[in-house]
Amino acid sequence: MTTATLQTSATTTRSAEGARALLVAAFLGLGLVFVVGFAPATVLHNAAHDFRHAQNFPCH
Amino acid sequence: MITRLLSAALVAGFLASVVATGLQLALTSPLILQAETYEGEGTHALAPALDASSAVRLASLIVPAHAHSHAPGEGGHDHGTAEEWQPAPGLQRIAFTGLATLIGGVGYALLLAAVMLALRREPTPRSGLAIGIAGFLAVALAPAIGLPPELPGMGGAPLLLRQSWWLMTVIATGLGLYLIAVRRVPLTILGGLVLIVAPHLAGAPQVAEAASQVPPALAAQFAARSLAIGFVFWALIGLAYGWAWGLFGREADARSHA
Repeated sequence: MTTATLQTSATTTRSAEGARALLVAAFLGLGLVFVVGFAPATVLHNAAHDFRHAQNFPCH
Repeated sequence: MITRLLSAALVAGFLASVVATGLQLALTSPLILQAETYEGEGTHALAPALDASSAVRLASLIVPAHAHSHAPGEGGHDHGTAEEWQPAPGLQRIAFTGLATLIGGVGYALLLAAVMLALRREPTPRSGLAIGIAGFLAVALAPAIGLPPELPGMGGAPLLLRQSWWLMTVIATGLGLYLIAVRRVPLTILGGLVLIVAPHLAGAPQVAEAASQVPPALAAQFAARSLAIGFVFWALIGLAYGWAWGLFGREADARSHA
């Protein structure tokens, strides 16, 4: 209970920062996973080929 | 907070990918190389009609790399033709597998971080491990039920269909796990179960008769090893993310108090 009351003053700024961090992390994460697992470019496919097979991404 | 999150995700992705790369090189890469010796010998010679018709149907939909790789008379596999770049066998191929695992590991770690933030879970090794295992269930195990990990040369349904089913299954399983494990009310548990089961009732895209020269024992071994590596990968990402989050938090505290 005490921690909750202590945190309330900082809650608004923290939640805004948290939302930004959430967006950045989700966007970057999806981008990286797409490049390595789904990107159709042949060069990317060939470079990540063994990883795609081992991690069970659908592959050719 | 953003710096702390990104730092922790980088550390977690790096540590997990080092281990996963080692496991892949020891366990799955030899099987992939072995399967590639069967590729092009009989797979595509046996099913040229299938390939040709699917190439015509999907030529407009599918990416150029795959459209022309399915053209009859060609080598068959994506890296069959000379002008396409591919890592040289040996060290270069190993290096690119490691690089891909690193990028994938960091990507997974960032997604795990985003999920933990959205769930308002303070990252610790323990809570990280729980989310990591959920990640394994949703991203590795659930799609593998419909689309088992495949070796090169095991022809399947058109790539775009399989990728769509894979993605839908991952999202549905993730949501289902959230409804069951986080919400934990009878109604949401029921909804979660429905979400988890639905993609498998709908069924993964399959080819009626996939001709393959790859020995079944090899394929079975590959599927089991692939899932085992996936489990270690995800568990380590979760554990290491929770650990690194605490590490960078202490450093930030020390700086602010100094």
